[in-house]
This record gives sequence, C-alpha cells and structure tokens, in this order.
Amino acid sequence: MNQNKRTAGSLLGALGRNVVLIVYALFALFPLIWMVLCSFKSDVQMYNTVFRFTPTLENYRNVLFGTDYFRAFFQNLLVSGVAVVITIVAGVPIAYALARYDFRKKEDVAFTILSFKFAPEILVCLPVFLIFQKIGLYDTYFGLIWVYQLVTMPLVIWVVRGYFEDISVEIEQAAELDGYRWYEIFLKTLVPLIKPGLVAAGLLAFIFAWNDFTFPLILSGFNVQTITITSMRYIASDTVHYGQVAVAATIAVLPEVIVCLFIQKHLVRGLSFGAVKG
Amino acid sequence: MAQIELENITKRYGEKTALDHISLCVRDNEFFVLFGPAGAGKTTLLKTIAGIEFPQEGLVKINGKTVNQVEPMNRNVSMVFENYALYPQLSVYDNIAFPMRSRLYKKDEAYIKSAVDRVTKMLNISNLLDRRPVQLSNGQRQRVAIGRCLVREPNVFLMDEPLAHLDAKLRHFMREELKEMQSSFNTTTIYVTHDYMEAMSLADRIAVLNNGKFEQTGTAHEMYYEPANEFVAKLFGEPEINLFPAEPYEEDGVLKLRAFSKDTSLIPRGDVSAALRENGGKTVDVGIRGADIDFSFENRGDGWVRGSVYACEPIGNKVIVTVTVAETQVRVVAPNSTKAELDSDIYLRFHTEDLLYFDEMTKESIGRSGGKRPAEKTKQAEGVVETWHS
Repeated sequence: MNQNKRTAGSLLGALGRNVVLIVYALFALFPLIWMVLCSFKSDVQMYNTVFRFTPTLENYRNVLFGTDYFRAFFQNLLVSGVAVVITIVAGVPIAYALARYDFRKKEDVAFTILSFKFAPEILVCLPVFLIFQKIGLYDTYFGLIWVYQLVTMPLVIWVVRGYFEDISVEIEQAAELDGYRWYEIFLKTLVPLIKPGLVAAGLLAFIFAWNDFTFPLILSGFNVQTITITSMRYIASDTVHYGQVAVAATIAVLPEVIVCLFIQKHLVRGLSFGAVKG
Repeated sequence: MAQIELENITKRYGEKTALDHISLCVRDNEFFVLFGPAGAGKTTLLKTIAGIEFPQEGLVKINGKTVNQVEPMNRNVSMVFENYALYPQLSVYDNIAFPMRSRLYKKDEAYIKSAVDRVTKMLNISNLLDRRPVQLSNGQRQRVAIGRCLVREPNVFLMDEPLAHLDAKLRHFMREELKEMQSSFNTTTIYVTHDYMEAMSLADRIAVLNNGKFEQTGTAHEMYYEPANEFVAKLFGEPEINLFPAEPYEEDGVLKLRAFSKDTSLIPRGDVSAALRENGGKTVDVGIRGADIDFSFENRGDGWVRGSVYACEPIGNKVIVTVTVAETQVRVVAPNSTKAELDSDIYLRFHTEDLLYFDEMTKESIGRSGGKRPAEKTKQAEGVVETWHS
C-alpha cells in the first residue's frame, strides 16, 4: 500500500516535471516555430493568425536565388569565424597571463577587458565609425573583424582564465622537468585541460559575433554585408516582405543550431565548470 | 650520478625570505634528507635545484657545472611533487610514460612498456594502469607520481614528501623499497620530509632546515645524539625530548646542577663540567630522552626524584608515562607491561651520561656527556659539508 503510494507519487512528480518542461519548451520555442511557419506563408496569408495556410516555397526561391543572400551568408561566416579564431589565438595567452603572472594593475586590466561587455555597442559605434572612415577601415573585413573582438574577446578571456587558475602550476613544472618545451607543455598538458571551456566560450563568442547587428549596420556598407543586415533589406519602403525576412532569419540560425547540437555536451560542462570552480 | 652543490642561495618572495644564504653539497649517490617543519623552505630548495624557482643570489651546480642559466628540462632532474602534479587527462600508464615520450628523453614504446611495468610492479599499482588520476585515491596518486619520477635515469631524484599520503603500513614498505632502490640505482636523491622516522631510516645525511636556514647537517645518529640546538633535539625522537632548566653550582670542587625547584641535584659527568664552567655558570637547559630515564614506584633513595603520574599512554610496543616533577612534565618511555595509577607517586633516575646541555638563552648545544660538541664533530666527520650559520 505504502509502496504503491510512493510509486504513484513519483509518477505524478515525473509527470508534473515533464508537463512544466513541455510548457516551457513551447513558450521558448514559439517564436522560432512562428518564424519557420511565416517562412512558408505567402504575403497574402501572412496576417492570418490561424495555422491553416497553403505552404509555399515562393519566399525561399525569392530570397535564395533572387538576391545575394548566400554572399552575405558566407561573408558573415567569414567575419565571425575569423573573429573567433583571432580571439582564441590572442585571448588564450592573455587569459594565461592573467591567471599565472603577477603584474601591477592585473585585476584592473582584467576588469577593463570584462567591461567591454557592459558598454552598449551603440555607445562606441559612432567614434569607431569616424575613426574607421579616416583610416580607411570602413566597410572592410579587417575593420569588422577587429571591432568584433570587443564582442568575442572578453567572454573567452574570462572563461579560459578561470580554467587556467584551476590548473595547478606544478603540472606545468612537472612537464618542464619531464623534458618538454614551453609550447609542447602548452599543447600537450594545458590545451586538453582547458578544452571544454575553450570550446564553450568559443562557440558562444561565435554566436554573439554571428548575431551582431549594430557594428555591421554602421561600420559596413555594400562591400561587406552580414546576414543580420541583409535580412533588413526585405523590409522595403512600401511593403514589408515578412515571409522573406522569416526565410533569411530561419537560414541564419541554422549554423548555430547545428553547431550547438553537436557540442551540447561541452557547452553545459564547459561553462558550468569554470563558473562554479573559478 | 651527480653531485649537487648550492652556494649561498638566497630566495625571496616579496618581503619574505624563503631561503637565506643556503650552502650545501650533496655527494654523488648520496641519499640526502631535508627535514624541517612546514614552511621551512624545503620545497623551495628542491624547486631551486630543479630550476623551476630562481634564486635571487647564489649558484646551483650539478656535477660542478653552474646551471643557473640552464632550463629545467636540460638539467635532467626528476621530481615527485607534493601535490602529485599528475596530468589529469592521461591514464596512469601515459602519466608514467610521459617523460619518456618527450623529445629530449625519447625512448621506444617497447622500452617504455617494460620500464612502466617495472616501476608499477614495484609500487604495486599495475592494476590501475588504465585509470585516470581522478579515479585514484591519494595514496595511489602519490605512487603514480613516484613512478613517473623513478622511470627516468636522471642526475638526481628530488622527492617532495613522496610518502606523506600513504597509510602507515604502505609507507613503511615504500620506505624500504626506496632505500633498496636507491642503493641499486646509484642515484643521488634529495628527499624532503617532515617525518623524523622517515628521515632517520632513509638518510645517509640529514639537513635540518628552519626559516630558510640550516640548523644542522649530519647523519641520523648525530641528529639524535648530538643535536646542535634545542630545535633539532625536539624534532627527532618520539616522545619529544624532555628539557628543563638547571642551575650549576660548585660543591667540594665538583660541578653539580640544581633542577626542579632546586630540590634535586644532578651531577654531570666530568667531561662536560669544563664546558659548563666555560659557559660561566649560567643556568642551562638540560635535555634527556624519555628512554634514558629509569623509573620506580618505590623510593630507592639517593639520586631518585619524586614525581606524580600525570598521564599514561600505551602506544603498542611501549607506554609513555608523563610525570609531573615540580611543575615540569617529564615523559618517560616505559615497557609495555607498565600500569600506573594517575596521580600516584613515581620516582625517576636520569642517566647522567645521556644528558644534553643547551644554553638557556641561545638554545645552542653546550655539550654532551661523553661526547664532543656536535657542531665540531659534524665538521670533522663531514669535511665537505659547510653548514652556513648566520
């Protein structure tokens, strides 16, 4: 009797948990679902709030073949990807220095780097715009990648720094005595240990860079166009092609979703480890 | 396979001086133990030899060559770290094989396998080869760390408390193994410990380090019987040496000592009288080991001191009886069968030939019955050693 009660209780608990999670998932995913639905609607049916409509691929054809969407897609990929690679190449040594060495104003430097994240992008955009105009970096890959470091670098530095601080310095010393050069020590003993954090922070940095809107809006013109800016173009002055905007957005989230699914395991572990222990 | 010399090494961390003008010579094939309390600078000294800490002053020499400017990897030293410093991402096998896979100490995989087998058998961890360090207990981790140190054939083994986290039985076993291994490998070993039994059983020579300075350097025997000062005397031996003040006085031309609220006289052996007189008749501290005290529950008359039993601790092979004599506590080692009622009367007799005398102010040794001053003897016997005293 008692046993039954308990099983019934745990069954109810599991049921309740799942119902809550499903409700939350619907709530969180609804904008995405709505976006995907919109991408299959024609402009005429766009404003019907019922779910019954005739699916059409018209929007996809218009966006993918009618415009230079793919060009923007690959340019976005290039800008974000290179920005993240540079962030990792430069940010990991910075994180190492901040974790290991003792120098004057160390915490101030670390905090300044973090504070780049606090400032709204629009705040720095105009001065950067003026400077870029002067030195000829406006509307170039280099300029955009450079300014993206503001978005990507602080995250990687702070997460990876926490990881380095958790690694006992004696491990490096042991490897030194075992006959390894500094770069071998770095690659063979340190990189495997910071990998979860690096992967998670790198991916988040990529997503932030990929989604960034303000910087490319102001700092790029026709030459370099990211996907976030391109999506805007389907809002014409007379009509708004919501279907086409939806298509552009749907395809834009695909890389993020795919990468996230692949490294989901690292993502959760990587960010929680550093945060809790660091 | 190498002689290690330190000349006037000074290492500071900011304001704090970790090593204060340390000079030391560890001979080829010697098992040298650095002994001292926590924070004495033992680990810093090891790391200075390894090259992972840099002294502000002084020279480090391996085989007569100054290596201050030599990278740690090129010094060919092998070290056991106190916190193990195992590579968490590698299995036990790979951890132990790691030094033999570096470009500098490259060996082929067949050799690596046999070498790893050899040390893991000796350390009794051959069943753990596939595990990661996180899946091991502290004692097992420590053995893996020892294994990683022993697979190599370095100039010198540096061991930083390698047995500290093993259980008592295993520690005893490993102590014998290390001693055996050292004599068969013919390798210089510098070994850090804070366990005096480990120090005494393993060492060819011991250096006692305190606050970044050597208190004394010598054999285990010298440390125990001829400590240079009270600090060293207290470090060696369990129970701790008994120390009490005594006031010298002359009676019929014989130097005697008055101790325990002046109602007890001790007559030092003739050969230390001169040293005590030289000291100017000042009050001295007398030291005696618990095993050098006779005890009786009946008053046997002259030369016996009355006290009362304060505590009685059986520790397996002996009983330690703490006796209160005129407000001073004296620990006496008694046979296992001893049963003493608390607060009952007990009579003690000190073996006057085993008394140690220390200056009351400086705590330095004045002498010992039937022996020379320890510091002199150390220098004579160990001609190479130059212990630096400030």
